[in-house]
Amino acid sequence: MLSLKKRGALSMQISNFARGFFDSSSPLVPVALPSQRETHIWYIVPDEVQNTSLLNQYLKLLSSCERESMFRMSGDKLQKSSLLARTLVRTTLSRYTNCQITPRSFKFRKNTFGKPEIEWGHYEEWSPPALHFNVSHTSSLIACGVTVDKLVGVDVEEKQRKIKNDILSFARRYFSLHEVEHLHAILDPEIQRQEFIKLWTLKAYVKALGRGFSAAPFKTFTIRFRATRSDGLQVPTDLISEASEILVEAFDDPKSLSNNWQFGLLELANSHYAAICMEKENILEGKGNDFMKLKVWKTLPFVEDEYVSGTNAVKIICGLSQCLHL
Amino acid sequence: MATVYATSVKFASSLKHSVGDYKLTGRTSTLRLVSMNWTKNGFPSLRSSRFRVCCAAKPETVQKVCDIVRKQLALSPESALTPESKFSDLGADSLDTVEIVMGLEEEFGINVEEDSSQNITTVQEAADLIEKLVQKKSEA
Repeated sequence: MLSLKKRGALSMQISNFARGFFDSSSPLVPVALPSQRETHIWYIVPDEVQNTSLLNQYLKLLSSCERESMFRMSGDKLQKSSLLARTLVRTTLSRYTNCQITPRSFKFRKNTFGKPEIEWGHYEEWSPPALHFNVSHTSSLIACGVTVDKLVGVDVEEKQRKIKNDILSFARRYFSLHEVEHLHAILDPEIQRQEFIKLWTLKAYVKALGRGFSAAPFKTFTIRFRATRSDGLQVPTDLISEASEILVEAFDDPKSLSNNWQFGLLELANSHYAAICMEKENILEGKGNDFMKLKVWKTLPFVEDEYVSGTNAVKIICGLSQCLHL
Repeated sequence: MATVYATSVKFASSLKHSVGDYKLTGRTSTLRLVSMNWTKNGFPSLRSSRFRVCCAAKPETVQKVCDIVRKQLALSPESALTPESKFSDLGADSLDTVEIVMGLEEEFGINVEEDSSQNITTVQEAADLIEKLVQKKSEA
């Protein structure tokens, strides 16, 4: 476990000057920009954030609009979740500007597809990096993905998520035939449930993507997995655990979604599945080596950051490779 | 005359009221009988979009939707749930919303197109859509 808590003499002075009441806070640690094929993920675990003065510090980072949205949420837990999500986005993005842009000063807008993006100001001697981000949360984990130059999408889901409906009824109503067959073939109910959640995590994300291009109902696309055999040949597989590549086929769209997007699935913090999606820069043939590279941090902004890639906190399921060292 | 009614109904429906106060909506829905179009058969036509605000869903429908939402989101009995409550403010994510829609389909015997389900963000919107679909089904 590599801890990045830096508390040099200079930063101590700055933090004492700037932060007043919260004595043990550190300034945000800047981070190098993701390279071309990299996706960075930062996540926070809400249950581990209890300190009220820290939460108040975070509250100061939000815009008035974000604060209003937060207070509209029903109940303390949801409000805290909303607060932490916005804090995560703002502090994470700030790191990639070498902390020159403070978390508080970021502005956001929605693009043509309704997806939030950064609205950069005008800077005299500095060109802002082409950062893209996406945030996703469950009640127990909030994750933010960051890339440079390419669109990115993240969707997280609790591994233990139980749905109210019967899994196969749900699948028959909303998933494609291939996916229903895949689930139906699984005899162990717990494994079936986990496979369902993995599929759902991927599908919900692809659907959100689809809304930008051609609002695709769930049934019109199928998620398939490909495995790479020892001889290098790629073959279809039903087992997500064996898969090396995730494909998305749209039935009525000759130009399948996989052409422009790469998908990956991982297990995060032993408790969640995360689906990641990144724009491809050109239409690659999908050879095994062309996976997205992943760097993952667990964070408690202004307190501690932990680089967790290569630890138990990050388990690749398919479509990704890890950067084991920073 | 119809415009005046439409305006007054708009004010009424913008008031936040709990399900218990639905008598207010009941009164405005009798207003709509006066201003509705009548088809050749003598049956009222609900197609005009001008009167959409008047055609608020029946209280029983709204109540059933509330029950389904409460169950899906495991809301405590004390937590406030009004027709205007936004699912997202109650902590519903996309999976919850899809499950709510599925629950509504089963309860009311209807089929909700995914495009329409994307537009359901509150209890009221769900109830209105249900009534529309139930009506369409009985006309078929």
